[in-house]
Amino acid sequence: MMTHARNAAVFNQDEARTGWHDASLWHVRSKRDAAAAEVPEWEYLREFASDIKDHTLSKLDVYLEAFEKAALANGAMVHWAADAAEHNELVLSILQRHGASRMVKSKSMLTEECQLNTFLEKHGVEVIDTDLGERIIQMLDEPPSHIVLPAIHLKKEEIGALFHRELRTEEGASDPTYLTEAARHHLRDKFHAAQVALTGVNFGVVETGEVVVCTNEGNADMGVHLKPVQIHCMGIEKLIPRRSDLAVFLRLLARSATGQPVTVFTSHHRQPKAGGEMHIILVDNGRSRQLGRPDFRSSLKCIRCGACMNTCPIYRRSGGHSYETTIPGPIGSILTPGVDLKRFGNLAFASTLCGSCTAVCPVKINIDDQLYRWRQMAGAAGLPEAGDRLWSGILGKGMASPTLFRYLGRLGRFLLRLLPGGGRNIPLTVWTRDRDLPAAPAESFRDWYARQPKANGE
Amino acid sequence: MESKHRILSQIRAGLPPPWPLPEVPVFRLENPDKPGEMARILERGATQVARAATISDVNAVIDCYYPQRGKTLSTFPDSSDSALPSPGSPSDCEGTDLAVLEAVLGVAENGAIWISERELQGLRILPFITQHLVLVVREKTIVGTMHEAYAKLGRPEAGFGVFIGGPSKTADIEQSLVIGAQAARSLLVIIIP
Repeated sequence: MMTHARNAAVFNQDEARTGWHDASLWHVRSKRDAAAAEVPEWEYLREFASDIKDHTLSKLDVYLEAFEKAALANGAMVHWAADAAEHNELVLSILQRHGASRMVKSKSMLTEECQLNTFLEKHGVEVIDTDLGERIIQMLDEPPSHIVLPAIHLKKEEIGALFHRELRTEEGASDPTYLTEAARHHLRDKFHAAQVALTGVNFGVVETGEVVVCTNEGNADMGVHLKPVQIHCMGIEKLIPRRSDLAVFLRLLARSATGQPVTVFTSHHRQPKAGGEMHIILVDNGRSRQLGRPDFRSSLKCIRCGACMNTCPIYRRSGGHSYETTIPGPIGSILTPGVDLKRFGNLAFASTLCGSCTAVCPVKINIDDQLYRWRQMAGAAGLPEAGDRLWSGILGKGMASPTLFRYLGRLGRFLLRLLPGGGRNIPLTVWTRDRDLPAAPAESFRDWYARQPKANGE
Repeated sequence: MESKHRILSQIRAGLPPPWPLPEVPVFRLENPDKPGEMARILERGATQVARAATISDVNAVIDCYYPQRGKTLSTFPDSSDSALPSPGSPSDCEGTDLAVLEAVLGVAENGAIWISERELQGLRILPFITQHLVLVVREKTIVGTMHEAYAKLGRPEAGFGVFIGGPSKTADIEQSLVIGAQAARSLLVIIIP
């Protein structure tokens, strides 16, 4: 079985929990629908967002240089990292220059992708994730299972037990308000103790050289403004040309992500604070390669809202960890095969190709179409298992030839009738594990049609 | 430097065909009652909203909502509340219970309220580190949509600016909404004519 399918099977062993996970995410999807319906120009905004991103990607080299120029003029320092290793080294060198051994970090999928925490810890730096969900999974030494809701896979009782162990909360306490209050005190201490603060970036504005960071907790700002040294790490695809374009993206982002009209804090960092340092690290790590793939480049338009995950019937019923990627779900399944087809090509099959992801994507990425295309690549690379390849081969040949199709149909109807129960429940296939096939018809539509009296003149 | 050139040349090698940058119209709000709409959206998101008849009534409103307040830093100082220190440093904000700040503008469609480093007198940390926050918004500064907000803000003059749309909150534990995550535990928005 392919990796994701195997992991999903394990996840589904706990039926009640799978149902709970499914319902939690569907609830978020429903909130997204309600929020989108409140904006009359919603579909126009999606179209504009898509066009702005397409335009930016078409001039990405020019825009990156213009952004750097504007940021430098603001007094920020700009660094370029070709890959994860260079990014991590850059962060470490900034920390070392300031003799810093403690850093607070707000949510950043990019630093997850680069495995920054592991790297810094190896060099003796204490890194504290300050988003509550991120902090929870950091204490558990787990990766996030969702890009917006990192701890969506955990029950409050599990978090209560963790906090009892780590933060000495009362044993058995699992009230979210009580646990959040405990985390607030714990994190406020960490904010004060840290020497450097690092954030991810939602948008980089070319014309102003600003970086925009969105949070609900205010944790990014608690870190950044208390420390003289602030570091913002961003993928090179995060740029938008004009400040006014923020209106389009901010109207879409939070509504798509959680159904809120806007994130609680939308911070625009342009200049270092008086006497402080502001660093911006621009990270490629495979993005320029993805840009060169015409069929897949539009995946770089993603603004990381997570709507495709919340709506995906496969994600909701298999959990983020089953993807074994930093970014799970439909968008992760089209981003990661480009990094390592052999390892992640299987994710192209973690989909029903229903297209719900594409329907909710605020920047109109054709996710289901790209999943299909990655399947072709994975197939050509021989990734599917022997059994699947055999069946696909037979079906492919059969469906390509009308004669063979007719013959196979007849053979199938005949064989099904021979099986017990009319072949409605065949123990060997997964399709009939939870459902019965309809009874095999006595004849095909084609045969029935041929028997009908012909209309005049035909 | 080397990486910059490597990244840029790799980008140029695979650049997509030209794609025009769209002109985005300034979408406006259908509801003519912008303060009312902003209040409705804010209240839905656990923000308290009050009205004051004049600027001199602001402190009376604050007394109603936060009668027992501790250290207060205010744009509208009086006998009990201090003015923002100027020049100040993050350590001046330590232990702040309440911060009272005049905002630049408010957005009706989503309750986002803009404040920049200028109004904060350089104290970027203040609206976050304070336990409770009051934002004072003048009715005539309330715009309908984010498009109008950015049109009005224009090019940034301050080094830092933020839209605040409610009290700090999280739903990271089982999707249960908890108000008061890392930053201010409550937000009171006072709308004045």
